[in-house]
Amino acid sequence: MSQMLSPDMTIAAEAIAGKAKIEVKNLNFYYGQSKALKDITLSLPERSVTAFIGPSGCGKSTLLRVFNRIYELYPKQTAEGQVLLDGQNVLDRSQDLNLLRTKIGMVFQKPTPFPMSIYENIAFGVRLYEKISKSEMDGRVEQALKRAALWTEVKDKLNASGLSLSGGQQQRLCIARTVAVKPEVILLDEPASALDPLSTAKIEELIDELQADYTIVIVTHNMQQAARVSKQTAFMYLGELVEFDRTEKIFTSPREKRTQDYITGRFG
Amino acid sequence: MGEHTVASFDEDLGQISRLIRDMGDLAGSMVGGATKALLNSDNALAQRVVSDDAIMDARQRELDDRAITLIAKRQPMADDLRHVVGSIRMAGDLERIGDLAKNIAKRVGTVGLSVTPRDLSHSIDAMAQLVLIQVQGVIEEYTARDAAALAKLRADDERIDVKYTSVFRELLTYMMEDPRNITACTHLLFCAKNLERIGDHVTNIAENAYYVLTGTQLPANRPKQDETAMSAPAA
Repeated sequence: MSQMLSPDMTIAAEAIAGKAKIEVKNLNFYYGQSKALKDITLSLPERSVTAFIGPSGCGKSTLLRVFNRIYELYPKQTAEGQVLLDGQNVLDRSQDLNLLRTKIGMVFQKPTPFPMSIYENIAFGVRLYEKISKSEMDGRVEQALKRAALWTEVKDKLNASGLSLSGGQQQRLCIARTVAVKPEVILLDEPASALDPLSTAKIEELIDELQADYTIVIVTHNMQQAARVSKQTAFMYLGELVEFDRTEKIFTSPREKRTQDYITGRFG
Repeated sequence: MGEHTVASFDEDLGQISRLIRDMGDLAGSMVGGATKALLNSDNALAQRVVSDDAIMDARQRELDDRAITLIAKRQPMADDLRHVVGSIRMAGDLERIGDLAKNIAKRVGTVGLSVTPRDLSHSIDAMAQLVLIQVQGVIEEYTARDAAALAKLRADDERIDVKYTSVFRELLTYMMEDPRNITACTHLLFCAKNLERIGDHVTNIAENAYYVLTGTQLPANRPKQDETAMSAPAA
C-alpha cells in the first residue's frame, strides 16, 4: 500500500499490520467551496481499532462521514477520490447506499435511541433489511444486547422506552442497534464524550471485545482514550493527515512536530 | 520546545528538571569531595559527604512525589512522558551515585589510620578524575539537550573500566609487596570499585537522557571488558 502514499505525509505503512479493510486514496472533500479534506491517503486494517485525533475542525469527523456517505444527506457537500471497502469504491455512484450503511454502522456523540421500546430500537433496523420470524428476532435482539454488554441490565424491561435508560446505557443501546444489522465496520464519533467514567470504561471494554469481529474507527478528543483503545492512530490537522502510525509510537515518540505539539498540549 | 497551553504544566516539568540538575550538581560535589577526602585523609570533608547523602535522598523523594503527581494530574504524552519517566529513573541512578560516594567517604578514616594513602592512591586519583568528568558531564549534556554528546559520554565509560583494571592490578602488587598494605589496599579497592560503579550509573543516566531527548534507545550492548575477572573476582 505504500506506493499510494504522498511523500509529504508521515505514514508508517510498514508498521500498520494487517489486511486493509478500508483504503482511502487521494480523498478531497468540500463543504461548498471550502476544502475540508486535502488529499487523504491511508489504509485501515480489518478487525482492528483505528483512532482519528486532531483539534476541532481538522476533518476527522468529516473523514468518518465519508466512509458511509452520510454527508450526502446535506446539500453542497462533495467528495473526490476513492474510499475502497474491500476493494469496492464506496464513492461510486452505482453504490447502493442502504447496502453500504448496513456494512458500515455508525454511533454518534450524543446517544440517539429511537422513541420506542428497547426491543424495538434493535428490531427496527433489522426488519428494514431482513424478514425473520419473531423467535429469530428475539434471539437477534438478545445477541445484540449481549454483544453491547447491556443484556443483564435490560433483559427484564425490554418493553420499556429506550429513552428511559441512562446516557451510558443509551449509548450501548445504540451500539447494540448498530451491531444487530451485522455490519463489517463500526464508526464511532466521540462515543463516550458525554458519558461518566464508568460508562466510558464500559464502552471502551466493549470496543476492545468488538474488534475481534469488526473493523472499528473511532474519533475522539480524549487522547488517553485513543491511546487506550486503538491499535493505530491518525493525527489530522487543517484537513490534512499529518501522521499515521502505531498508537504506541504516536503517543510515546511521534515523528512529526505538529503531532507532538498537539498530543502534549502545546498547540496554538 | 514550545510552551504548553497550560502554563502550570511547564512549571511542573521545570521543577522536575531543576531537581535533576540539583541532584546532578550534588552528585558531582559528593564524588569530588569523597575522592578528595580519601586522598587527603580529610575526615571533616568525608563527614560532609556522608551528611550530603541525606539531602540527595530527600531530593529523590521530592522528585518522585512531583513526578507521580504530574502523571496523575496531567497524563503527559510523548516527550513529556519520556521526560517524567526518564527523570524518575535518572534520579534513581543519581541517588545510587550518592550512596557510593558516601561509601567511599566512610572508608576515609579506616584507610588513613593504617597507612599513608597518598602513596597508594595515584591511580585512584586519576580514575576519580575521569569519573568526576563523567558525572558532571552527563547532566550538563542532558541540560544542553545534546544527544550525540550523551552517546559519546556513554561510550567513554570504557576508559573508566580500563582504569579500574589497572588500579586493581596496582593495588594487588602493593599487597603482594607488603602484607601490611592489605587493609588499606582492600579499602582502596572497594573505593575503586565504587568509582567504577558510579561510572556505570552515569552510563545508565546517559542512556535514559538519550531516550528522553530522542525517543529512541541506544544500542543495548556497549563494548565492555572487565579484565580483572581474568585474574581475580571483581569486588
